[in-house]
Amino acid sequence: MTATATARPARVGFGRTLRSEWIKLWSLRSTWWTVGATVVIMVGFALMFAAIARLTMQSPDIQQEMAQDPSVQVEGMFDAVAVVTIGYSFAQLVVAVLGALAVTNEYSSGMVRATFAAVPQRIQVLTAKLAVLVVTTVALSVVGLALSWLVTMPILSSVDISLDLSDGETLRALGGTVLYLVAVVALALGVGTLLRHTAGAIFTLVALLFVLPMVFNILVSTSDIEWVRTINKFLPSTAGERVIATGTTPDHLLTPWVGFAVLAGYAVVALVAAAVVLRRRDA
Amino acid sequence: MIEAHDLTKRYGSKTAVDGVSFTVRPGVVTGFLGPNGAGKSTTMRMIMGLDRPTAGSVTVNGHPYARLHAPLTEVGALLEARAVHPGRSAYQHLRALAATHGIPDSRVDEVVELTGLAPVARKRVGGFSLGMGQRLGIATALLGDPRTLILDEPVNGLDPEGVLWVRNLAKHLASEGRTVFLSSHLMSEVALTADHVIVIGRGRILADAPVSEFVDSASRRSVRVRTPGAATLREALERAGASVAVPRPDDEADALAQGPGRHGAPPRAEVLEVTGLDAPAIGELALTSGVVLHELTPVRSTLEDAYMELTADAVEYRTSPTEDQETAR
Repeated sequence: MTATATARPARVGFGRTLRSEWIKLWSLRSTWWTVGATVVIMVGFALMFAAIARLTMQSPDIQQEMAQDPSVQVEGMFDAVAVVTIGYSFAQLVVAVLGALAVTNEYSSGMVRATFAAVPQRIQVLTAKLAVLVVTTVALSVVGLALSWLVTMPILSSVDISLDLSDGETLRALGGTVLYLVAVVALALGVGTLLRHTAGAIFTLVALLFVLPMVFNILVSTSDIEWVRTINKFLPSTAGERVIATGTTPDHLLTPWVGFAVLAGYAVVALVAAAVVLRRRDA
Repeated sequence: MIEAHDLTKRYGSKTAVDGVSFTVRPGVVTGFLGPNGAGKSTTMRMIMGLDRPTAGSVTVNGHPYARLHAPLTEVGALLEARAVHPGRSAYQHLRALAATHGIPDSRVDEVVELTGLAPVARKRVGGFSLGMGQRLGIATALLGDPRTLILDEPVNGLDPEGVLWVRNLAKHLASEGRTVFLSSHLMSEVALTADHVIVIGRGRILADAPVSEFVDSASRRSVRVRTPGAATLREALERAGASVAVPRPDDEADALAQGPGRHGAPPRAEVLEVTGLDAPAIGELALTSGVVLHELTPVRSTLEDAYMELTADAVEYRTSPTEDQETAR
C-alpha cells in the first residue's frame, strides 16, 4: 500500500458531506426512476385534466349555462392553475418515497454504518440529505410545472383558458406547488429517519398524506361534527394543499399560508424528532 | 492505538460487553478472538462511535471517535455485515465516502486496484460474491490511508487466495507502523496472522497476551497412558503429584477395537490422561508399581483445543443447549 499518493485530506465539513450525499442520491437507479415518475405524473395528470376541461367547456350544455349565467365560467374548476398543478396530489407520493428512501435504504443495507463512520456528526448527514432532497424536489417540481404548462397550453387556449402569470393568486399556487412538495420530501425524510424501515415509512406517509385525508373528506362531507372538521383541516396534506388552491377559502378549511405553515410545522417536528433520535440511537 | 476503559454495553437486561479494558498497539497485528455473540462486533462498533457505550469509554489515537476531524484518515473499518447499498456500484460507493473527506478519485482508483476490484468496480454491489463484498469492505477501510485499521472477520467468505492476501496485507500494514485490530472466531486464523491476541467471551476479556505466550500457557501437555492396572497406577501417579483425568468415550472405543488377543481376552485396558508428569517419569512409576503399560504417548493439545477450553463457558449458542440454559430462557 502506498501512503505517498494522497496528501492528508482536510477535515470533514458540511460542503463535503453535501457532495457525498449528492453522489449517493444520484448513483442509485431508484432516484432516476422516482424523479422521472414524478415529472411524468405531473405532466400526465395536467394533460388529462386539460383534455377533460376542453371536452366539458365545448359541450353544448355548459356553453348554454355559461351564456345564461356569466359567473359560471369565472368560478369554474377549470382555471389554468388548477390544470397545471393538478398532478401534485399523486406526485407527492413519489416524492415522499424519494425522501423516505434516502435514509431507510441506508439502514436496510447497512450503509448507514459506513456513512456515520465517515461523518460522525450525524446531524450534519441529516442536514446534507435534506439539502440534497430539497434541491432535487425544487428542480423536479419546477420542471414538472413548466412542462405541464407547455403541453396543456395549446389545449386550453382552444377554449380560451390561459395562465395569467401577472395574477398574484396564480403565482402563489404555482410557487405553492413547489413549496408543498418540498415540505412533503422534508416530512418524508423525518419519518424515514424515525422509523428506519422502508415499508413502515412509506405506509405511514401514504396513510398520512393520502388515506387519512380521503377518509376525513368523506366524513366532513357527510356530517358536520365539529371535531371531525377540526382534525380534517389540520391534516398535513389537507392543510398544506391550501397553498395550491385558488378561489375563496371554504369556511371549514384554513387559509392558504396558514395551511402551508401547518404542513411545514409537521415537517419541522418530524425532522427535529429525527435529529434527536439520530444522535441517541445506535447506528 | 485503541484504548478501551471499562467499556460496557447493555441491551435491556442483556450485557453484550461487560467492563472491558484493553489497549491495541501500533506496529503489530492484534487479534480479537471470541465465539459468535461474544461481543466482538459490539466492541468494534463502540470503537467506531456507532454504538453508544452504556458505561466506560474508548479512544482511537487518543480521541473519542466522534471527535476525530477526519475519521477516515485515522481509522479505516471493515464492518461485519456488508455496509453497502446493493444498487450502487463499488466505484460510486467508494466515491461517495471519499467525498466526505475530499479524497480524490485517484485514491479511489488506487484502492480499487489494490484490492483487485478493478474488473467489477462499475458493477452494482448487489451481484457481488461474498468475497468481492469483503474486498470492497477492505477497499473502504483503506480509502483514507488510515493509521488504524479495524477489520471485523475480514477473511469471512474469502477463497484461500483471498485469505492469504488478507493475512499478508494485515501484516504489511502493521509493519508500516499502523495499528491493526482484526477479529475472528477462528483461533487458527488469529494464530497465523496476529502477534497479539485479546480473547473475549460473554462480553469479558479472557486473555490478553502475545500469541506465542497465549499458545504456551493455554496448550497443556499431557500423557496418554493405556494400562490394565489403571487403578493401581492412578493411585501411584496421584501420590507423585500428577493429575489424572478420566478416560473419554472415544478412547474406550479405541480400546475395544483392539479386540481379543491370541491367547484369549486380555485384561481390559483403561486409558488415563496424565498431566504434571512426563512420559519417562510415568514409565518409571509404572515399573516400580508393577503395572503393565500398553501405551505411553505424550500428547500436546492443539491451539483450537486451548481456545475451546478457554471459551467453553463463554459460548453464547451451543449446538445442544444444556439444561440450565434451557430453563434460563
